[in-house]
Amino acid sequence: MSSNLHQAGVKLLKQLGRHADIIMDTYLAGSLNEDAHDPSVVEKLKQAGILWRPEPDQELRLKRSVRALLEEGLSDERNRQIDSNVGSALATIKTLADHYKEARHSSDYSAAEAYLSDLSEHVYSFADSLRYSIRVLWGRINNEFGYVGTINAKIRENELAQSQVSELLNGLEMFQFSELGEIAGDIRELRKLIVTTLQETMSDCAQELSVVQGRLLELLGRFRQIRGRTRLLKGWLLYTDLHPDYRPADHVSHKEIPSLFNRAEFLLAPAAVDVHNASQELELMGIVAHIKAISRHPVVAAVRERDAPVSLTQSEDFDVPDNPLKQAVDEYFVDVIESGLRQSALEYLADKALPWNAESWIYQVIGGYEGLPDEHKAYFELEPLGEPHPIYSGNFIIRDVELWLA
Amino acid sequence: MSALMDQSTQTVLVGTGALIELLLKGEFICRTTNEEGWRALKNNSTRERVEAYLNQINRTVASAAEGDVFFCGYLQLGDSERKVISSQFKDICQSLIPLVEWLVLVQEASGQDAPLNEGAPVRLTELQSRIEDTPAFREQLAKLSQYRLFGSTSSNSDAQIKLVFKRLVELGYLVRPNVEKQIYIATGKLDYLYEVIRFIDETEGLSLEAQAETATQRDLI
Repeated sequence: MSSNLHQAGVKLLKQLGRHADIIMDTYLAGSLNEDAHDPSVVEKLKQAGILWRPEPDQELRLKRSVRALLEEGLSDERNRQIDSNVGSALATIKTLADHYKEARHSSDYSAAEAYLSDLSEHVYSFADSLRYSIRVLWGRINNEFGYVGTINAKIRENELAQSQVSELLNGLEMFQFSELGEIAGDIRELRKLIVTTLQETMSDCAQELSVVQGRLLELLGRFRQIRGRTRLLKGWLLYTDLHPDYRPADHVSHKEIPSLFNRAEFLLAPAAVDVHNASQELELMGIVAHIKAISRHPVVAAVRERDAPVSLTQSEDFDVPDNPLKQAVDEYFVDVIESGLRQSALEYLADKALPWNAESWIYQVIGGYEGLPDEHKAYFELEPLGEPHPIYSGNFIIRDVELWLA
Repeated sequence: MSALMDQSTQTVLVGTGALIELLLKGEFICRTTNEEGWRALKNNSTRERVEAYLNQINRTVASAAEGDVFFCGYLQLGDSERKVISSQFKDICQSLIPLVEWLVLVQEASGQDAPLNEGAPVRLTELQSRIEDTPAFREQLAKLSQYRLFGSTSSNSDAQIKLVFKRLVELGYLVRPNVEKQIYIATGKLDYLYEVIRFIDETEGLSLEAQAETATQRDLI
């Protein structure tokens, strides 16, 4: 019998493993797309009780037990199912305890053994399901019901979770340990199982549930605050749309000003030294003189906060119009080259009847000669004509210059 | 050892000095704008020290938003103080409509459940593209940017939104932690604003929340 059960179990698990892809697809999508899979495989899964059809024209879905296995194994946060049916678990435990006592009483030890192991299974699985429920609740709290989008949905989810918590707490209240103690009587195994173990679990869970409840309320408060703010803003816009000439009442004209509006005027404006105020110059100088640059760090090269834009473009052409005086001097030089004769600058000026002042002319001629490149300069000789200054030695007064080809 | 202690008291003093200065400048201190100062004010002993200093010049540390935003208020109210408060109240009342319109626009354009609150980031480029893609949002932006609070005269939505954000930073409702990035963070002054609206709502019995709820229910039907 038990080897049959073992074999059947192994077969079922193998089937689950073999068709893991289909099962996971169905788990994630909610229902199975029958056309996409081999009909014989689908049929096998249906027979094994893994898939089922809730209504004749509905798609195939995963059986609740398989779903629950996956939800628990994957810690899937979408799992909202909480088994808060403490009453039936309690009744089962009591019934099994009675069976065990009866079997013991009639000295049917093998039956008693079986009942006891059955009872332990129930007690432990009950404790596990309670702890699992609390884990699920924490999971939902910790991601703040992130699996639903809107604040309103989050508030509803939170309310669902709160009702589940209160149901669980109500269920826990049904455990009367005095009654369980009576059932257990003086049988040591039974006492250990249904009094000590259960009591420990209960007190742990009740404590944790009250923390969960506190957190849920806190979250709910926050959600409501967020929703309240959204509504406040929308309501404000609606109200001001409806009453375009609405102005808030003067809430600060009362004797008692609400502390919210008690804001002092700024006392400090951004300060700056007035360097143009001469009367403060002395003090400012004193302050500046006292500044000591203390640098404990090596001076860091200033880094430019942003790149100064630099663009390389063709430089624009420009020309300086030639000075007519300079052009006349150039002509004078050309004249000297062409004639090949020694020529006085002032005579040239007079000959050509050029309009310039004699002094500027001489300056420009000297400047033109000095401004020649060295190789060109070598072709000319320039001799200043004049006399030394009668009073201040070392000064030579130029009256005229003569230019000739070297 | 004594040098070490000296140094530590000194930094504390310098710290409260800077804090007092900020308060006297009329700034709101919250976790986003100045976390260090905010922590210092949350700490009773530093807060008392700041309070003692401010009390000498008829000022006090005031707080809003469940003690998460601090600002500077008057200790005793004389006629001149009342005048200041009354003009400030007028200012804030005038800025309520543009600010609320802006908050609703940001919330709707970014498709969020919650309106902006302290510490919430706003990515300007993202928001801008969403607003520019939707004519209704564009219209709202154009309308609100022309309020005197923002004072935009431009008909270009890029210029409008940039100006609105610039003004909001100037007014202290937003901070921009990195000048090179277009990411803004809402400050505690916004939470203060909510409190002001709630106060007006409750005192004047406007029941704004109920009105908004019935309006959304009508929309759903």
